[in-house]
Amino acid sequence: MTILAQQIVLGLLLGGLYGLAAAGLSLVFGVLKVLNVAHGELIMLGGYGAYWLFALLGLDPFASLLLVIPGSLLLGAALFLALFGFVVRAPEETRIKNSLLVGFGLALALHALAVRLFTADDRSISTGYGGAVITVGPIAIPVIRLASLLVALALIAALHLLLARWRWGKAIRATAEDWQAARLTGIDIRRAYLLAFAFGTALAGAAGTLVSVGYSISPSIGLEWTLKALIVVVLAGLGSMLGTFAAGLFVGVAEALSAAAFGGPYREVIGLVIFLVVLVLRPQGLFGRAR
Amino acid sequence: MLEIRGLEAAHGDVPALSGVTLRVAAGEIVALLGPNGAGKSTLLGCVAGLVRPRAGAISWDGENLLAVAPHRIVERGLAVVPEGRRLFGSMTVEDNLDLGAFSPRARAARRESLERVFALFPDLRSRRRQIVHALSGGQQQMVAVGRALMASPRLLMLDEPSLGIAPLLVRRILDALVEINRAGVAVFLVEQNVRAALTLAHRAYILEGGRVVGEGEGPALLRDAHVRRAYLGPLAAGERDA
Amino acid sequence: MTTERAWTLGILLALALLAFLPLVAPRDDVLNFVFLVLLSITLAQSWNIIAGYAGQVNLGHAAFFGLGALTARTLWIAGTPVVAAMAAGAAVATAFALLIGAAAFRLRGAYFAIGTLALGEILRTTVGNALPEISTLPAASIGAYRLAPRYYLALALAALSVLAVAGLARSRLGLGMVAVREDEGAAEATGVSALALKLRALALSTALAGAAGGLFAYYHISYYPSHPFGPGWTFDALLMTFIGGVGTLHGPVLGAVLYVFLKEYLTVRWVDFHLLIFGVLFIAIVLLFPGGLVQALIQAGNGARRWMARRRGATT
Repeated sequence: MTILAQQIVLGLLLGGLYGLAAAGLSLVFGVLKVLNVAHGELIMLGGYGAYWLFALLGLDPFASLLLVIPGSLLLGAALFLALFGFVVRAPEETRIKNSLLVGFGLALALHALAVRLFTADDRSISTGYGGAVITVGPIAIPVIRLASLLVALALIAALHLLLARWRWGKAIRATAEDWQAARLTGIDIRRAYLLAFAFGTALAGAAGTLVSVGYSISPSIGLEWTLKALIVVVLAGLGSMLGTFAAGLFVGVAEALSAAAFGGPYREVIGLVIFLVVLVLRPQGLFGRAR
Repeated sequence: MLEIRGLEAAHGDVPALSGVTLRVAAGEIVALLGPNGAGKSTLLGCVAGLVRPRAGAISWDGENLLAVAPHRIVERGLAVVPEGRRLFGSMTVEDNLDLGAFSPRARAARRESLERVFALFPDLRSRRRQIVHALSGGQQQMVAVGRALMASPRLLMLDEPSLGIAPLLVRRILDALVEINRAGVAVFLVEQNVRAALTLAHRAYILEGGRVVGEGEGPALLRDAHVRRAYLGPLAAGERDA
Repeated sequence: MTTERAWTLGILLALALLAFLPLVAPRDDVLNFVFLVLLSITLAQSWNIIAGYAGQVNLGHAAFFGLGALTARTLWIAGTPVVAAMAAGAAVATAFALLIGAAAFRLRGAYFAIGTLALGEILRTTVGNALPEISTLPAASIGAYRLAPRYYLALALAALSVLAVAGLARSRLGLGMVAVREDEGAAEATGVSALALKLRALALSTALAGAAGGLFAYYHISYYPSHPFGPGWTFDALLMTFIGGVGTLHGPVLGAVLYVFLKEYLTVRWVDFHLLIFGVLFIAIVLLFPGGLVQALIQAGNGARRWMARRRGATT
């Protein structure tokens, strides 16, 4: 029983990162109507960014978020201007298909680049306080993972506020809902797209940083995290950052429960199976609106 | 102010507008009438930057409007209330109105504009924090008109504002248009409700099959035989002008 | 004769000539290399059918390759003659495809793509968990291993895949697929059942993929059973088909040849670098040159013809 509770708590902590990873993908998909399957590679790059800042400069990973996030913002802007900015010129049907293919090529290229630059080894950031644990009754909560969950929640909340209160945040939401009407009210939708993509990449970079300190990274984690993010996005539907975060927690817990029920190796499968079932039965997800 | 000359447009291979010429001067209310499929919405779409015309010129204050990026058209002083309203349904009334004042020029006057909109449509003041898709059709139309007004336009263009709205609310919206016009804003109204449109318009054009087939002053057209036969039908006993 | 027909004949002729290769150059490294090209051609053409002709981007293609490999391997090691084992592999792959097909095709466009991606991963993980141990041929079989039969089977399968696509392109099924790909709504309005067409395309595509998987199982002495289920196989097929020219007959063949050559040339010094190049090339093709190499060749041909005409015109 205690073991189960422990697993659930760990699943919850991991689920927070799933939610963060998914939020970036959801933002990009919702606003640009573009499915960036290289999102996992962006997470991977964020992880390596934090790792090298730690390995070379001794910068604490939580502090390096202050560098990784702006860096990822710029990377996102660059990727939009160089790549996805062209994809959004097509009408929606073709756009999604093209984005899938472009994202696939990008993922391949980034993965190969990472292997060349960083080798294929697993890496993880080990800080001095890495082993610290908070004990609540019989359950041990690793401090780093707890801090990561809180950071993830904070970032999502910040994004939510940005979208709700900031002038350009509202413009982004308007563009997501009806880009033609948005244009009529004077919104430069290309700028809205650029901002959304940059924010999405920033969230990915942050997620990567948290993964590198709480877990481990390697050039190959891209596909795995893209799928995780996709699962959560499909489960949550579009339109709510907080809903996406909640869905991430749900997936984390579901994985923990299935690992307990069917054994560790099948942990990955349950998420994918839930994904497929929801996709086929309810393409708009649990929280999303029907298209 | 707004001059359209020889405008031609098509939907794919199907011609929608063939050599349309019309103008809207400052302070006027001009109506564009005609049957379904005549090209009225296409015309508005060309002005608003939604549709790319094949030929012809659109000039606003002497400037070539076709050379202006679509999202910059609002800055120039033209605001559109599109057909079907096209509001941001998942956002609040206040957010929708706020977005209407997105351009820098409009933003400066945002607070006054908001007050003016609430003065015109008092119903909206109490509903400012409601999500738009929870409102009725007529209330949504008020939000749509309000959103366009928030842009501090000199010309307000509306595409079928009375479509699908209860007659009482249509009356209110049309009254609001008159007030807006009295405050100095020109109005370009595409309408199927010919009687209502001609009652408040100074001038009107009639579009049929993508061509301008008639033009005149509102009251004169109301009495015109062709217009009466084609669009108004016999006045039933006791029926009042809408 | 149309360009495509010319290419078909040309390719089949080349394949026929390759039949003599083991007699002319009985070197294992050459034959292994050509084997890889032939396997790649089959894999690419199989994906081309569902993606190029039917317009459905299947990102779980490796699942069918893997199922074919698994079935064929199991049967063949147990004593079934290899061709029958491969046929069984193809049958199992197709059966699975038809089983999930109706549900899968409820998903459109990108959702079909990510759905099949997930499906592929589910199969890979499950097989990896169920059969974690490496599969190795029994000692007697290793002793009796001959490259020639495998080479000829690969040749036959590659020829079969080219013929299948050639036949498809001109058949009613093929034309129907293209109609559905271009505008599903319009096609349905003319009485075409889009679902039936897509299912038949999927069946043909997965049968070829399953057979290719069987070939893989016959060829390799030892491998992890989950390996042929890996997404790398899907991605290879995608790259080869797109770079060559998706939806054409000879595109995937050109793409496969280029891909294997480049990979061999680059792998020696630069691990995975070929993927970096192909990734960038792929993006360029999607955005700028959707017709791939085939389109490039056509445009080059037109350009050359115009240049020649101008030269002739200038001298008269």
